Amino acid sequence: MRAIVVIPALNEASRIGEVVAAVRPYVERVIVVDDGSTDDTGRVAAAEGATVIRHALNRGQGAALKTGTLAAIQMDGCAIVHLDADGQHDPSCIPALADPIRRGEADVVFGSRFLGIAPRGMPAVRRAYFIAARLFNTFLLGIPRKITDPQSGARAFSKAAAQAIDFRQDGAAHCSEILRMVTRSGLRYQEVPVLVRYTKETLQKGHRFTVAFRILWQLIVRH
Amino acid sequence: MLIQLILVLILAGLFVVTVRRAVQGVIPWGEALAWCALWVAAATVVLLPKTTSVIAQLVGVGRGVDAVVYLSITLLFVLLFRVFLTLDRLDQQLTGMVRREALRDLNIPPGEEADTAPRV
Repeated sequence: MRAIVVIPALNEASRIGEVVAAVRPYVERVIVVDDGSTDDTGRVAAAEGATVIRHALNRGQGAALKTGTLAAIQMDGCAIVHLDADGQHDPSCIPALADPIRRGEADVVFGSRFLGIAPRGMPAVRRAYFIAARLFNTFLLGIPRKITDPQSGARAFSKAAAQAIDFRQDGAAHCSEILRMVTRSGLRYQEVPVLVRYTKETLQKGHRFTVAFRILWQLIVRH
Repeated sequence: MLIQLILVLILAGLFVVTVRRAVQGVIPWGEALAWCALWVAAATVVLLPKTTSVIAQLVGVGRGVDAVVYLSITLLFVLLFRVFLTLDRLDQQLTGMVRREALRDLNIPPGEEADTAPRV
C-alpha cells in the first residue's frame, strides 16, 4: 500500500532537507508544498528527492496541506500522512499513523502528543494553550472530549477519507476543522501517540498567541 | 443652518451617484434602493432633527441623538462584517486559483495516476 507524506513548508530552506531525508525511508513518496517561500525551500526539498508543488503566493498552512493532499490523491496515495516542515514530528511516528490505515482498521489517524509519549521541551505556557484549545474544541466546536490533542499537525488519511474530508481553512484553523469534520463524518478514526520535539527554532516559528485569536475568527466566519 | 445645507448637499450627491451606478449596472437595483433609503433617512434626520426623538420614543431610547448614534454603530458593524465576509470569499477564490496553478504543473510519473478524480 502506497504511503505519501505531505509537508507544507514556508521559508524552511535551512530545515526541509533534513526533514525530507528523515521521512523518506518510511514512505513511497514525499510531497513538499512550497507555500510561496522567498528562500530556497523548494530547491532544497527537490534535491532531497521530494516532489515539490509550489504555491505562487503564500496561502497558509491549511491551504498548502489541501493542495498536497489533492496531489497525493492524484498520485494514488492509499495512506496520506500530514507532517510539519520544522522537524518537530519524529519521522518514526509515520508507521504508527499509517499502519492502522494499511491494516484497514481506521480511515483517519490523528497523532497526539498527550497520549503517553511526553513531548520534549514543551513550555508550560504552550501546555496551557493546548488545555484552553481543547476546552474550546469541546464546548464551542463540539469535538469529542476524548480527542487529546486539539492542534496536532501529524495525521493520516485513507484515500477515501482524504477525498471525503473537504477542509477549507487556509490558516492554522484547519486542525480544528479537520477534527470536527472527521468526528462528525462517520469515518473510523483513532489517536496514536507521537513524539513532538520543541526546539528554540520551532517555538520561534510556531504558533504565537495572536494566532489563537485568528483561529477563533476563521472558525467563526467559515463555520 | 449651514451645516444642514452642507450635509443635505452631500447626501443628495450620494443619492445621485447611487442611482447612476444602478443605471450603469455597477450595483443591483435592490442594493441601490437600500442605499437610497439610507440617504433619504439621513437627510430627513438632518432637516427634521425632531423626527429622531419620535423614533427614540418608539424604541424606548431616551433622546433622538442617542437613537441615531446606536443605529449608526449597529449599521457600521453590519457593514464591517459584510466587508470581512467579502474579503474571506475573495481569499478562498485566490487560494483556489493558486492551487489550480500549482497542481497544473504537477508531473505524475506514468503508472502513479489515481484511477478516479478526487471528489474534494
